Amino acid sequence: MDNSVSDLVLFIGRFHPIIVHFPIGFLFFAFILEAVSRLKKYSHISDAIPLALLAGAISAFVACIMGYMLSQSGDYEKSTLDTHFWLGIATTALAFLAWLIRTEIIRIQSLAGLKPNISALLLVILVLGITGHYGGNLTHGSDYLLKYAPFGNDDKIPLVAVTNVKEAGVYDYLVNPIFETKCISCHNKSKKKGGLSLQDSVAIKKGGENGAAIAAGDVNKSELMRRVMLDPHHEDFMPPEGKTPLTDEEKAILNYWIDKGNADFNINLGELETSEYIVSLASRLLGLKDASGRVNGDLPIVSKVNKEVLESIVVEGFRVRELVFESNLYEIVLPPQTITKDNANEIDRKLKKLLPIKENIMWLSLKDNYLGDQYLKDIGTMVNLYKLDIDNNPISDIGVAELVNIPNLEGLNLYKTKVTKKSLSSFSRMISLKRVYVSETLISKNDVALYMEREERPNLVIGI
Amino acid sequence: MCNHHDKLRSNNVDLQQIEKQLDRRTFFKKTSMGLGALALGSLLNTEKMWSSVEPMTGNADMVGSFTKNKLGLPHHLPKAKRVVYLFQSGGPSQIDLFDYKPKLKDMYGQDLPDSIRAGQRLTGMSADQTAFPIAASTLNFKQYGESRAWVSDAMPYLSEVVDDLCFIKSMHTDHINHDPAITFFQTGNQQPGRPSIGSWLSYGLGSDNDNLPTFIALVSKNGSGQPLYSRLWGNGFLPTEHQGVQFRSGKDPVLYLGDPENYDGNDRRNMLNYLNKLNNISHDTYGDSEIKARIAQYEMAYKMQTSVPEVTDTSDEPDYIFDMYGPDSRDPGTYAANCLMARKLLEKDVKFVQLFHQGWDQHNDCPAGVKNQSKSTDQGTAALIKDLKQRGMLEDTLVVWGGEFGRTVYSQGQLTATNYGRDHHPKAFTMFMAGAGVKPGFTYGETDDFSYNITKDPVHTHDFQATLLHLFGIDHERLTFKHQGRRFRLTDVHGDVVKDILT
Repeated sequence: MDNSVSDLVLFIGRFHPIIVHFPIGFLFFAFILEAVSRLKKYSHISDAIPLALLAGAISAFVACIMGYMLSQSGDYEKSTLDTHFWLGIATTALAFLAWLIRTEIIRIQSLAGLKPNISALLLVILVLGITGHYGGNLTHGSDYLLKYAPFGNDDKIPLVAVTNVKEAGVYDYLVNPIFETKCISCHNKSKKKGGLSLQDSVAIKKGGENGAAIAAGDVNKSELMRRVMLDPHHEDFMPPEGKTPLTDEEKAILNYWIDKGNADFNINLGELETSEYIVSLASRLLGLKDASGRVNGDLPIVSKVNKEVLESIVVEGFRVRELVFESNLYEIVLPPQTITKDNANEIDRKLKKLLPIKENIMWLSLKDNYLGDQYLKDIGTMVNLYKLDIDNNPISDIGVAELVNIPNLEGLNLYKTKVTKKSLSSFSRMISLKRVYVSETLISKNDVALYMEREERPNLVIGI
Repeated sequence: MCNHHDKLRSNNVDLQQIEKQLDRRTFFKKTSMGLGALALGSLLNTEKMWSSVEPMTGNADMVGSFTKNKLGLPHHLPKAKRVVYLFQSGGPSQIDLFDYKPKLKDMYGQDLPDSIRAGQRLTGMSADQTAFPIAASTLNFKQYGESRAWVSDAMPYLSEVVDDLCFIKSMHTDHINHDPAITFFQTGNQQPGRPSIGSWLSYGLGSDNDNLPTFIALVSKNGSGQPLYSRLWGNGFLPTEHQGVQFRSGKDPVLYLGDPENYDGNDRRNMLNYLNKLNNISHDTYGDSEIKARIAQYEMAYKMQTSVPEVTDTSDEPDYIFDMYGPDSRDPGTYAANCLMARKLLEKDVKFVQLFHQGWDQHNDCPAGVKNQSKSTDQGTAALIKDLKQRGMLEDTLVVWGGEFGRTVYSQGQLTATNYGRDHHPKAFTMFMAGAGVKPGFTYGETDDFSYNITKDPVHTHDFQATLLHLFGIDHERLTFKHQGRRFRLTDVHGDVVKDILT
C-alpha cells in the first residue's frame, strides 16, 4: 500500500468520523426547523433555517476534506469507499444549493410551484442518510447494523451442532468464532485495517500489508500470534487498546490450530493430536458434555440447603465443608471410628440425616466406621457423588452392587473391605468410575491383572 | 448529617473500628448487656444446659469450618485435600538424580562454554575459579516404569514408583543462596516476615480435624548443614493460630502432654474456661486479635493432649509397613520415621504436613554426598507414596518433593575422575509431585545439554506456589490478607498455574 501519506494527513483524517456528525446534526436540525416553522405559533423560527443550512454545508465541506485524507490510509474497501466519497460530495453540494434556494440568492423559476425549500431539504436529508450509511459500513462492516435485527438475518448458514467434539471442524467451530467476536469488526471485507481481513479462508490466507498473518505449522512465524501474545502495552498488541483482548483459552485454541492443525481450514479436531486441555476447552465452548457427563464442565446445579439441616448433620458428628463457595456442594466426612462395634446401631440414624441433602454431597468419607452393606443402598442414591471413601469397613460385593447407578462417581476407595472379584463387574457398570482402590481385599493381584487386560477402565489400584 | 462523634474519628477505616470499640456508648451497651446476660445466665443455669454439648469456645459457629472464613473459598473445585511436602534442604543435585545428560560424558573436564553461563553471577564460593570444568555425573542412570523416566542409581526405591510421579525438570528460582532461596520457596518472598504456604492454606481453608494442628512441620533429627528456622513454617502476619506446629524429632514429638504426678487432669477443662474468660476480657479491653489466637492455641494444646499420643503411636503398625519404610523407620525422628508419621497425620486429615531434611548441599564430594543423602531419604519417600496409594489416599493427597534450588554442572573445586563438587544453581532444577490432581508418569519441562538453562516450559517458584494453591481450589490471586495497608498474597504479583501438569 502507499506509504507516502504523511502522518499529519492521517492524523487529521482520523478526525473525520467525529466531524461528520456536525453536518448530520446541522442539516437534520434545519429540516426540523423547516417542519416546525410551518406551525403558526413557531413561524418566526424559519429565520434560523439559513444559518443551520450554511453551518451544515460548511461542516460537510470540512468533513469531505478530512474524509479524503482518511481514505489515503488505504484501510478501506474500494467500491464502498468510492460510493461514500461521491455521495459525501453530493451531500455537500446539495446543502449549499438548499442554502442558496432558502436565502433566495438563486431562484429557479420552473421549480416555483414545487415548494423548492422543502424539496431541497428533503433531498439533502435523503442523500445525507445514504452517505452516512455507507460511512458506517466502512467503519463497522456491512453486517454490523442489522446483525441483531429480528428479521431476515439468515444469510449465513448456521453451523450444524456437533454431538461429538472430535467431529468439530477446528476452524469453523473454534477459530472462526474467536475471529468473529474479537477481530472482525476491524478486519473484514469492507474495513481492512492493515490490509488484513479475517472474514474467510481466502482472506486469511492472503494476509495483510505486513505479509502473511498466519504461518501454517509455525506459531512463532505467525504475525497474528505474535501480536496477540505481546505485552498488552506494546504498540503492536492486538486487539488494540480499548478492545477486549483474547483470553488465554482463545490464544490456546489459535495456537493449537496453527501448530497442530497446520492452520488447515477443513480439518476436524479428531484428526489431530489434541491435548486433553484443548478437548475439554472445545467441549466447553461447544456446550458438549465432558468426560464426567456434565455440560460445560460445570458443577452440578443443586438446591440450597438450609442452615438447620446442616446443623442437624454436624450435631451427629459429621464434618461438613462446602467444596466451592456458594455452590451448595459439600464434602461430608464422618471421622474414623465415630462408629464402632459398640455403637453400631447409631449409624443408621446418622446416615438418614444425610438423605435430605443427598444431591448436594460430592465427596463422602465414611472410612473406618463399621459400615455394613445394608447402608450402601442410600449412598447409591447420591447422584452427584464424585468421590467415595468407604475403606476399612465390613463391606462386601452386595454393598458395592448398590453403587452402580451413581453416574458421576470417579474415585472409589475399598481398601480393607471384604469385596471379592465378583465386584469387578460392578466396577465396569459404573460409567464414570476411573480409580478403585482394592488393596487388602479379597481381590487378588492376579484378578486385577486379568481385569486390566480386558477393560480400559477403571484403574484398579492394588497392593505394594 | 450532623453527628458530632465523627469529629473524633480517624480517617482510617481500621482505626475507626478500634475507636468504635472504645467509645462511651459502646462501652455502656456492652457492659449493660454483659450484666444482663450474666444475670440471665445464672437464672437459667446455663452451665448445666450446655454441659451435654461439647463446650464451644473460640469459634462459636456451629457448622464448623465451611462457614469459618468469610473469604469466599474455595474458588473452584479442589483436587487435593491434604499435602505432604518433603523439603530437601540444601539444593539436591538434579544432575546426579533425575536430569540425565549423557552428552556431558564426552565433555568431562572441559570448560563450561561461556554461551551457556552467559555471564551469570555466581556465588562467592565459585566465582573466583579460573576454570569451570564440566562434571558429568558419575552415577548411573536408567529408565524406569512405563513412563520411562530417568533416575540415577542413588534412588533405587523411588525408581519403582516413577509411574506415579510428575517430574518438573524446569524449575527455576530467583535466589542463589540458601536463606533467601528457602524463605522464598516457603513464603513467596526472600525477606522474612511473610506467611508460609501451610499458613496460607490454614488461613484460607481452615482445619479438617479440630483436634490436631492444620499445619505440622517435621524436621529430621541429627541434621547438619544449612540451618532451618521456624519462620519457614511461620504465620508471618496471619493470625498466629495458622503457624505450623513443629513436632520434635524424637520419641516425644510434643513435650509435656502427660499430666504431672498426682494430677488427674479432670478440672483442666474448667481451668481453661476461666482462663478463656480472662483472655476474652483482655481482648475486649485491648482489642488485640492475637489474644484470640492465644485462646485458640490453648484450646488446641488441650485437644492435643489426647490426639497427639494417639497419632504418634506407631506400635500398632505391622512389620511389613516398617520394612517398607526401611530400618530407619523404627528410629523416631529419622526421615523415614517422619514419613511414616506423616502418613498417620494425613490419615487424620491434617491438611499440611511438611518434612524437612537437611544436608543436600554438596559443594564437595558430590557423588558420595548425593548417595548418602539418598540413602537416608529414598526408601522413606518411595514407601510413603506406595503407602498412600494402597490406602487410596493418593486420590486426594498431594506429595511434593524438592529443594530450594539445584546444583551446577561445573565442578566447584577440583575435578577428578571420580569426584567433584557442585555449587548452587537457581536457573534450572528438578522437583516432583505425585497424587491429587497432577498427571502420574509425566515429565514436564526440559533443560539444555548442561542442565544449566531451561529450554522448554519454565516453572518459576511462584508458578509452583500458584499451582499448589490451585489444587486446593484456591485462585492464588484472590487469597489475600491486608497488612500494613496493603493486601498481600503468597505469590506477590506473580505466578501462573502450570495447567499442563494437571489432570
